This record gives sequence, structure tokens and C-alpha cells, in this order.
Amino acid sequence: MSDEGLVEVKAAESFEEGDHELVDVRGVEVGVVRDEDEFYAFRNTCPHDGGPVCTGPVSRKLVGEFVGPGERVERSFSDEKIISCPWHGWSFDLETGENVADDGIVLPSYDVIVEDGVVYVDDGR
Amino acid sequence: MIDAAEHRVVDCDWHYQDSFTDIVEYMEEPWKTKYEKSNWDAAGVKQNLSSFFPTSTGDRQAYGKIEREHSNYPDKAETPDRVREGMEFLDVDQSIQISHLALAMGGVQTDDERTQAFAKAHIEYMLEEVLDPDDGVYGLAPLPYSDIETSLEILDRVENEPAIKGACFITAGANPPLGNRKYDPLYKRCEEIGYPVVFHTGGSGLDDYVRAGYQEMLETHTLGFLESNMSQLVSVTCQGVPEKFPDLDIVFMESGVTYVPGLISRLEEEYLKRPEEAPLLEKRPSEYITDYYFGTQPLEVSASPDLLELCFDMLGTDRLLYASDYPHWDFDSPSTITDLPFISDEERKAILAGNAVEVFDL
Ligand code: FES
Repeated sequence: MSDEGLVEVKAAESFEEGDHELVDVRGVEVGVVRDEDEFYAFRNTCPHDGGPVCTGPVSRKLVGEFVGPGERVERSFSDEKIISCPWHGWSFDLETGENVADDGIVLPSYDVIVEDGVVYVDDGR
Repeated sequence: MIDAAEHRVVDCDWHYQDSFTDIVEYMEEPWKTKYEKSNWDAAGVKQNLSSFFPTSTGDRQAYGKIEREHSNYPDKAETPDRVREGMEFLDVDQSIQISHLALAMGGVQTDDERTQAFAKAHIEYMLEEVLDPDDGVYGLAPLPYSDIETSLEILDRVENEPAIKGACFITAGANPPLGNRKYDPLYKRCEEIGYPVVFHTGGSGLDDYVRAGYQEMLETHTLGFLESNMSQLVSVTCQGVPEKFPDLDIVFMESGVTYVPGLISRLEEEYLKRPEEAPLLEKRPSEYITDYYFGTQPLEVSASPDLLELCFDMLGTDRLLYASDYPHWDFDSPSTITDLPFISDEERKAILAGNAVEVFDL
């Protein structure tokens, strides 16, 4: 742990796309995920039943639009990204941690900082 | 406690025991002639392996045990005066009549025009001979919803009739289920007119409801009447009907209330795990479902009071509508509501009349 309250994860270049890395942040297991050159960090404990949510896949959210009575709902993958817990599929917005089904349920997130090619999680201190 | 006789009571589900012999006078050809030359009799069925609509298990009157003093049910066609007599008996001031015969329409899966011919003729018969707002006798238009065009014609026909207060969809037999986009034009039209959509469970095809081989009506009626509404409740909600038509009032009739919290709980567990499969929903399914209205009959008064109270709390006493189902075998009198210990007099009055006055614009 660094003096500034940053917890070192690993070198940015050693993160594969979609890769996750687990670190201990003040006694909490936190998962750091790389998606399209961005890094995200969440508590790796699913609010549903404690599953390792950060080890699940990241995908684009499938949405539907009502285009008119009698028309088939138009389905498409949006630009919004979600991460899904591999135990039962609870999914969370990658940017906000909000549950896709109920935005009142939020997966706690952490700031991620990349300095000199190294990824750190801010421990909030 | 309140006395039903001293308060306004609206019965949201009275079954007018219509007869084919009365209705056929209003029926279009070729069904008029087909019926008249058939052996089908007033109930549309005879014990000669021939019936207008499919029939179902068991004797509803429990083999001679159940009798009705203020109705011709079950053996003879109703007459309009007996509805007034029955309302007097139950202290009902206003009633919403739903066709008795239409309840079996869901069993018709063939692509002929039996249900269309019946629904149109039923409406003409009721308007001409039975319904009268001055007497507090209103009705719903049964929609042969598998035929969208005819159903829209029916809505056009009745929209300015003061005696018709909504559209009725018999939930048994709806294939595809009623959340399908196919039915959107009907919901849109009802929303425009300001008609509530009443999803009324049905008994047709119960002998082999989902699976064949049941032996008693106790089994088929318990399950079938529940499942018919449960399946449509899930379909209508998940497919986003209340998001597509936000001003549409949705009513579920004749499955009691205790099934709803269980169904909501199960649906929410699933929804939390697979929300992308209901992409039109902006909130949890329960938040839509508790906006629907529910007819109270057959109210599970023998359930633990705690359970019933929980159901009332979950659905909201502003969403419950007293319904008798008279003269059917398992009808509820207003005392099922007036005698409930855990609600206030204000809530009793809302369930007995106030909520219905609002939904049905009485
Ligand atoms: S524990 Fe994560 S979805 Fe169940």
C-alpha cells in the first residue's frame, strides 16, 4: 500500500481485455476489471448472495425499444456496459455500479488510477 | 364494521347467465342458422357429444348441494328481473355484468367465427334487454381477442354506450398470452376510450389444463382458475403493456388475492437475474402489478388473517374491487369485505364501491 492510500494492482499492460484482478483494499476484496482500455473496481462481493461478481463477464447491455403498438420490440446492444455476477447473473452498470434490474441496489465501486503504467485502486482514505 | 345495506356497494363481477336461445336472435349468419338447426339448447351443449363451446370437468353445483334462490342458475337462462332481485338480496347497488357463456370462449382455438358471432350478439342482447344504468346494471364487452379486427369493431360499437363500462378478456385459452404485441391495438383503443381492461379467468378446457388426467373439479378449478390469470399477469407485465399504455387500467378478476404476493415474489427473483428479457420495464415488476386492480372473489377468508392482511397491504386497499361472481357456485357476498377485521371502515367502503366507481367511471 502506498502512502497516498493507493493499492497497487499490477502493470496496465499486463491486463488483457476483459481481465480481472483481485486485490485486498483495507480488508475488502476488490476486483479490478479492464474493459476497452478503461479500468473499473468494485467490491467483489455480490449484493445478491456474495458471489464473486467481478470475475464475471462484461458485456454490452441488451435493450429494447417500443416502436409502436403491434410492432415487435426492437432489441439491440446499447453502448452501456454491464458486469454480470457468474453465480446467478445479477448485472451492474460498469460506470455506476447500479443494478440493471433495480437501481436502488448499488455495487460499491472504487476509483482506479493509472500512474506510470501501473494500476492502483484508491482505498478511499 | 359497516352494514352493506347502508353503504354503496358495487359488484364488479356478476355473471349474467345468458342463453344461446336468447342471444341467437341477435346473432349474424351463418351462425344464427347453424345454431338454430343444431341440438345445442340454451347452454350451447347437450349430452349428445355436441357443443357450441368446449365444456369442462365436474358439476359446479357439487352434485345437487348448491342452490341459488335469486337466479335461474344453473339450469335455466337468466331473466333481467332476476338480476335486480339478486342485487337486492346481496345489497348491491350497481353491478358489472360479465357474460356467463363467454367464460368458455377461451376453449375455442379453431379459426372459425363462433366467438366473434357470439360476442357481437351478446352485446346487442344485453344492451337491448338487460343492461340499464338507471337500475345500476352495467356490463363489459367480451372481446374475441384472437380476432383483432372484430374486437376493434366491437369497441367502436360500444364506446358511446353508457351501459358498457370496459372490455373483458377471458384469460383461459389466450394463445399467444395476452402480453403479446398482437393485442396492442386493443389495449391502445381501450386506453383511448378510457375503458379498463378486465382480465377474467375462465374455466374452459380445465379437464386437461396444462396436463390431462385430473379427476375432480376441486383440482381443476383450484388450479385452472389460478393459472389462467397468473400466466396472463406475468405475460402482460413482462412484455411491458403498462409501459406501452400507461393510462390503461388493468383489472384481474376471479382468482382471489393470495396468489399475487407469491407470484410477485417469484417473478422478482427471476427478474433480478434476467432483467434484459423484459427491456421495457423501468421498474420492478411488483411496482406495475400493485398498480393493477384485483377483484376480491373468491376471497380466501379461511386463510390465516395474517396472510390475508399481508396480501391486502401488498396490493393496497385502493386496488381491490369487491366482486360477488353471483350466481356462480363460489360467490362472495359483501360480508366477505364488511367482516374483515384488519381494515378500516374507509377501506371497506373503498373496496365495496369507491375503487370501482373510479375504475369503471360509474
Ligand atoms: S451471488 Fe451474484 S448473482 Fe447471485
